[in-house]
Amino acid sequence: MRKKRYAAIAAGVAGVAMLVTACGDSDGASTDTSDSASGELSGEISFQTWNLKNDKFTPYFESLIDEFESEHPGTTINWVDQPAEGYQEKLSADAAAGSLPDVVDMGPEAAYTLAQAGVILDVAAADPGAEDLYLPKAWEAMTFEGLDGGTYGYPWYLNTGPSFFNTQLFEECGLDPASLPTTYDELFEQSKTLRENCPDKAMIARTPVIENFGEYGVPLMNDEGTEFTYNDSKGVELVEQFIELYEGQGLTEEALNNLQTNEVEEFKAGRVAYLPGSSYTLNDLKETAPDIYDSIAMGPRINNAAPNMYIESLVVNANTENQELAAEFAKYVTNSENQFEFAKAANVFPSSAGTLEDPYFTTEDGTPETQVRVETAQQVNEAVVWWPPAFSGAADAEALREQVALALIGEKSAQEALDASVEYSNSRLSGN
Amino acid sequence: MAQPTVKDRVAAPVTSRPARRAGRDGPASSTHSLWFTPWLFVAPAIVVVGLLVVYPFINTLVLSLTDSTMLQRGAFIGLANFERLFSDPRFATAMLNSSAYVLCVVPLMVLLPLVLAVLVRGNTRIMGFFRTTFYLPVVMSAVVVGLVWTNLLGKQGLVNELLQWLQVIAEPVPFLTDRWLLQFSAMFVTVWMGLGYYMVIYLAALANIDDTLYDAASVDGAGVVRSFLNVTLPGVSNTMFLIGLLSSIAAFRVFSEVYVLTNGTGGIGGQNLTMTMLVQREGTGLQAQTGYAGAISLVMFVVLGAIIAVQLIVQNRQEKS
Amino acid sequence: MTSTTLGAPASDGARPAGTRRPRRRVPAAAVLQYLVLGAMFVLLAGPLVWQLSLSLKGPGDDLYARPPRLFPSDPTLTNFVDVLDRVPVLHYVGNSLVVAGIVVIGNIVGATLAGYALARLRFRGRKVVLGLLLSAMFVPVETVIISQFLLVRSMQLQNTLLGVALPTLITALNVLLMRNAFAAIPKELEEAATIDGANAWQRFLRVCAPQVKGVITVVAIFSFVGAWNDFLWPLIVLSDDSQFTLTVGLNRLRGTFYDDPRLIAAGTIVALVPIVAFFALLQRYFFRGLESGGLKG
Repeated sequence: MRKKRYAAIAAGVAGVAMLVTACGDSDGASTDTSDSASGELSGEISFQTWNLKNDKFTPYFESLIDEFESEHPGTTINWVDQPAEGYQEKLSADAAAGSLPDVVDMGPEAAYTLAQAGVILDVAAADPGAEDLYLPKAWEAMTFEGLDGGTYGYPWYLNTGPSFFNTQLFEECGLDPASLPTTYDELFEQSKTLRENCPDKAMIARTPVIENFGEYGVPLMNDEGTEFTYNDSKGVELVEQFIELYEGQGLTEEALNNLQTNEVEEFKAGRVAYLPGSSYTLNDLKETAPDIYDSIAMGPRINNAAPNMYIESLVVNANTENQELAAEFAKYVTNSENQFEFAKAANVFPSSAGTLEDPYFTTEDGTPETQVRVETAQQVNEAVVWWPPAFSGAADAEALREQVALALIGEKSAQEALDASVEYSNSRLSGN
Repeated sequence: MAQPTVKDRVAAPVTSRPARRAGRDGPASSTHSLWFTPWLFVAPAIVVVGLLVVYPFINTLVLSLTDSTMLQRGAFIGLANFERLFSDPRFATAMLNSSAYVLCVVPLMVLLPLVLAVLVRGNTRIMGFFRTTFYLPVVMSAVVVGLVWTNLLGKQGLVNELLQWLQVIAEPVPFLTDRWLLQFSAMFVTVWMGLGYYMVIYLAALANIDDTLYDAASVDGAGVVRSFLNVTLPGVSNTMFLIGLLSSIAAFRVFSEVYVLTNGTGGIGGQNLTMTMLVQREGTGLQAQTGYAGAISLVMFVVLGAIIAVQLIVQNRQEKS
Repeated sequence: MTSTTLGAPASDGARPAGTRRPRRRVPAAAVLQYLVLGAMFVLLAGPLVWQLSLSLKGPGDDLYARPPRLFPSDPTLTNFVDVLDRVPVLHYVGNSLVVAGIVVIGNIVGATLAGYALARLRFRGRKVVLGLLLSAMFVPVETVIISQFLLVRSMQLQNTLLGVALPTLITALNVLLMRNAFAAIPKELEEAATIDGANAWQRFLRVCAPQVKGVITVVAIFSFVGAWNDFLWPLIVLSDDSQFTLTVGLNRLRGTFYDDPRLIAAGTIVALVPIVAFFALLQRYFFRGLESGGLKG
């Protein structure tokens, strides 16, 4: 097979260290072949992205790959893209079968599980200099204290966004669009007022998720990352605020069950006045809900501790036959220049060090789009990836939502609900 | 070649049978000459089903005795998964929901499609049109069906708007949030999706009923209902049992309808979780606890086996009488 | 009544075979019948019509208006054009057809053979085989899908359309349907053939199989629809997007960060068209097959 032949060549050449790229030095992270000297990269690897092969991004990736291949002749990057749905199942199947591609796009939560199973590479150990290439918070987000403190992916793009408010609803329901809520207390206060004036509308569309707990100031895990701790007094306080809101009917029944997609839909339908958005929400509103778009106002993300952000990363398969090339390519995709281009195309933010200081992210020009971008870029500087990688987006998040719903409808106290949820999550933590 | 005519059959139903009746399992059986002939017939099915369905399932069942996760083989832990399952509050909820599903849906699934099939028999073009449209929900993917019905049944959905406009109700009915209303909404969607599916099976069975029996019945003065009861029902009784079996299995294993109507959440506080949803929750995804999911699967398997056994016993008794 | 040879539809001139002779058809009953059918039609086809409406809505249409508007205020075909642009629909339809074709043939052949043996041949172990197949129907897909993938991989069939078709090549459900159908054939037919010296294979092929044409067609349609609509399994087995089936390929329409519901609706309609066309064209043959699958008298 071609792969085997290239692997042989690569093994011979891979004893030499990689060509130094523009940013940062990396010392020879060779696997089984030993000597390190700078030299050529060659070989073939597979690169997998998630739902990024479409009109918008295909040209970007193709030119990125072409550039890399021409800078490193003798290398071939096979780009594979997975459809939107079923990504976790696909990753599971591939991981179980040992057919995971060499460089894979995923978030910290998936990376955590794969790291636990020893399937992906600890890039901090394999590539110590790489840390300097990225924002500290981004690197931290991929560093899993609960495992062994290793860093299991190269940080890629960041995503956070402002709070969106429906000014029309504000006006109709006795609130002042000029004084938008900026803290959780204000949000709850204004929710009650809105409810009194407009019985069939609401401010908030769903119950708090783990990121919200973080934003509220609840400690999510212990320092060692071995136990969940969000059932402490602050967590209970947050849930009790929601209970109060629900009892006053400031929260609809559907809200107990709503996911993030429903939240967005409710906002677009004009039934809900507040939406914690992403950087691309503005575009989404413009294209699919023009009426709402006309009456929105934006404010900073509501939080008591630090605003939340999401991170996507590129992990490297621990069993790849061409680790040099895989790591190099991953760093290439996540370097400052390429992340900048991607951020522009996708309305997200780069995690590479220093890129956010570009005037593109700091200088306003009067249009709402730029305003959103600049303000959100500032927010990135303060933001934290609250979501603990050990917290499963499926089972754990669902357990939390269910328990909170039970508390809201009065079947258990807030403390009991959180205790149950923490117990469930802790029991899944062990892994083998 | 003297083939028995229909007249002979109708006139002398059971008595005349050739002397050489079924010898049991001896090599030169009355039905075939080479002993391995039947095995040739069933071999493809056994290979495919055995290899690709049964074997992986056995694997899953073995896993139920371990604490395996998706990516890591676990250690043998005996019946710990089962202990955990029986003390899991969601288990009771899911069992209740799935069982309720069987009790409510199966009778409807056995009767309604039959009535529908009887109504759309006939080779006219308009009947053909109806048959095609009735089959459409089967063809639509569960996701699309769910999206549409979620839209229709929501508090501001079409159904509520219609009911309020007709002044049947004063306030919107919480089809999708009230625990039991949601359950019944899901059942409704299941029946809605299944009508065309089982109707088609019934159509095939109805075609096998001899027309002369209907003629005989009308000669005796039977109207529509009477001939339905006396001719149609007995004629499709085998199929009714089969559909009872199939729909029981499908009802106990209900997943998509509830999943889509609740957006994958299983209802407020997880009150509408079904057994298969529980399996999916624990058994898929990167952090799946495949050992625990295996235990749930095994319990489902046993319960389904019991349901099927009961139905088969009833069917046997019915056939004997 | 004239006696007929098997297989040829009887006709007594006035009416095609299979329709009941309406004796004293009260008009009220006919009206009721059509009313019920009409209501069912609205119920069953309505949601589909809604999807169609969504797919024709343009950028100016508010998708979230309450109450929902059936007729687009800004109708356009661009959504369909977009779908065809972004997704190589024809190519994916071809792939789906290959998979569906394999599954249909496999099921027709395998299920019919096994169904006949289980219904009409006596052999030791018949009950065991039946039990095996029945129990295969209880297996929840979610728990075995990864094992199936590992199996398919070990056969080197990953990323092939054959690999996609394999788990449903012969399903227990279809075997049971065929068994049921064969069991309904009166024993006299076979016994007559046996007297004439036919062996099992000949009885199967010449005598019994033609009797169950109707159910065979049912099996074909069920297999086709199942294979056509499957998403998760093809997703897991295939890695090359040139091999994608239609359902997987249409998932491309999902926006990277947010969806355009119109586009998705258009995609859904596009996915439905081949299957509805298939069924509509075949349904006359299919239902005629059902009608003539029985004995005529």
